[in-house]
Amino acid sequence: MSLFLAQVLKVVVIFAGLVSAAGVSTLAERKVSAWIQLRLGPNRVGPFGVLQPLADGIKFFFKEEFIPQGATRWLFLLAPMLAAIPAMMTVAVIPFTGVIATVDGTPIYGSIADIDIGAIYVMAISGLGVYGIILGGWASNSKYSLLGGLRASAQMISYELSMILVILSIVAMSGTMNLREITDQQNANSLLGFLPAWNVFYQPLGFVLFVICTFAETNRHPFDFAECESELVGGFHTEYSSMKFALFFIGEYCAMIVMSCLTTTLFLGGAAVPFWAEAPWFVGLAAFVVKAAFFMFLFIWVRWSLPRFRYDQLMALGWKVFLPLALANVFVTGLVLSL
Amino acid sequence: MVIVKRKELTLAERLYLPEILRGLSITLRKMFVKRATRQYPEEPLVTTEVTRGQPRLAVNTDGTVRCVSCGMCEAACPAYAITIDGHETERPIEREPERFEIDMLRCILCGFCEEACPKEAIWMSDELELADYTRGALVYDLEKLKRPVSALQPRIDYIKKINDRWRTSSSTS
Amino acid sequence: MANLLFYLVSLGAVVGALGVVAARNPVVSVLSLLGTFFCLATIYLLAGFEFLAAAQILVYAGAIMVLFLFVIMLLNLGGQERPLMDHTLAMSRRLPLVVLVGVALAAVSFFAVARSGEAQAAAEAAPLQVDTLGGLAQMVFGTYLLPFELSSVLLLAAAIAVLVLAKRERGEAGR
Repeated sequence: MSLFLAQVLKVVVIFAGLVSAAGVSTLAERKVSAWIQLRLGPNRVGPFGVLQPLADGIKFFFKEEFIPQGATRWLFLLAPMLAAIPAMMTVAVIPFTGVIATVDGTPIYGSIADIDIGAIYVMAISGLGVYGIILGGWASNSKYSLLGGLRASAQMISYELSMILVILSIVAMSGTMNLREITDQQNANSLLGFLPAWNVFYQPLGFVLFVICTFAETNRHPFDFAECESELVGGFHTEYSSMKFALFFIGEYCAMIVMSCLTTTLFLGGAAVPFWAEAPWFVGLAAFVVKAAFFMFLFIWVRWSLPRFRYDQLMALGWKVFLPLALANVFVTGLVLSL
Repeated sequence: MVIVKRKELTLAERLYLPEILRGLSITLRKMFVKRATRQYPEEPLVTTEVTRGQPRLAVNTDGTVRCVSCGMCEAACPAYAITIDGHETERPIEREPERFEIDMLRCILCGFCEEACPKEAIWMSDELELADYTRGALVYDLEKLKRPVSALQPRIDYIKKINDRWRTSSSTS
Repeated sequence: MANLLFYLVSLGAVVGALGVVAARNPVVSVLSLLGTFFCLATIYLLAGFEFLAAAQILVYAGAIMVLFLFVIMLLNLGGQERPLMDHTLAMSRRLPLVVLVGVALAAVSFFAVARSGEAQAAAEAAPLQVDTLGGLAQMVFGTYLLPFELSSVLLLAAAIAVLVLAKRERGEAGR
């Protein structure tokens, strides 16, 4: 019974944490962009503008619901849900921390579901997020939306491939797809005696490829061709308003957060604290949050620093550079492992 | 014809990542530069006697308006913002405005009225804020335009100084 | 509970499959197929094949159906819905073929059902280790390596054939 309670509690806490983290990231996005552009950013709602996401949420609720003429109604309504739900589902397997407690000899892990195919589950479910974008773009009956949706679909398929290949290298190294075990293995031994044995040191190329692929996978700058404000008005969500737009928005930020968490888990040892192997679970959780927050910051930082790619450059980069590099990475990893 | 030769990219530039890192470092440094933002409603604008704000009418210490409703400013106004109706008085100054209106929505703050005025009656004040709910409320009448001379004194002194400089330089040449 | 879920999901799979052929809007067809894939993935999960379920969603739902949608949108098939008359006409013309395929499928499923008890007995006698990842890898890359590689070669050949056909048509149109 207490196991069940713990499970329910974990679901509630992690889900609420994810959604509120998405809210905080919208504020962070605006604040960091302001700092980079020598501005102050939102500072009117609450001290330093910390309540701005709340104000934004209330505003979204009171905006007009609009469904364009000629839109396929039920798909138009379904698309935002399809965009947001996969992003929120993927968080289920992320091991946020080590063992929290042991109830009746069963350890309670820091993830909602401790499954053996964690890595591939994340990829499978996050890959579904593209449906929301494509269907939203198609159902809007608008040329800008359609182009945005088309671009998003081609882009996400291309980069998912390289991403899975990088994960494959990690899985080959760890010998497991369970994200918790991948974390534990990075935590277990040390590299050259002083560095933590994080995969980022074993797979530097894979790390760089993976991080860049997460940008493409979540449609962020410099690969945000699904939105592409300067050419496509708003891209796939041009025709969306009110809470439907907010769902797309939350979905995008949730996807970014999950990708940050995944990068942390795969490459930075997850909840591991360097030089403190026996850290209690809340310290591990804090370490995890700090690491993931760095990647969130990177997402925002890059967005406000780099110009957008050209679409053919994006595809060329994905297929002619990233895919061969990722394949070579898998090959070299396999070679080294078999020696 | 000018032929611009495209610069050969170095290997580091073609790898792209080093250049991205350079760009990122620039934006990171900019994050810690001191802000120049002024929090306007809380931090009011700094004005000096040089500030050419909205025109105001000078009122003498005895409460009489300096304006004699001669219509010079009305004629000088390029935006036709000023409307004056005058009438006779018993005072030695003989005339004063009965109606003096400036449509602040038309006023372009050029300062021609100030230059045209022979009686040192209309001055560009340091008031810059202008907001209301109706157009009618932004047509300022005599009562809204009146300001004691003391409030306008820095501007009066400044303009006199400027004009004096011109006068002396023209007399010497 | 698991049995009830199985029947529900199976029903979903059948309904989805019917939707694929019955829907007049190609996008709806694709979505129906997507639903079918999800139901199949759930059945794999119920059977204990976690990896197969994830791979099903990753490959079919995550990649191939996205490509389908992509192509449908590029060709803009969504705008004009296929008239129902053509549908039935085309069906009636190909009736012999349809009947033949239907009978063949029915025969296969009949034999499958008839021999399922036998297969179950065989499985219980010598269970295949495919419920773990390692077991699956042993099966695919050990016991059945040759068929696996052959099927991949077949797929490659198909892909190249499609490319050649498409290129040739474009070349002729260009001339």
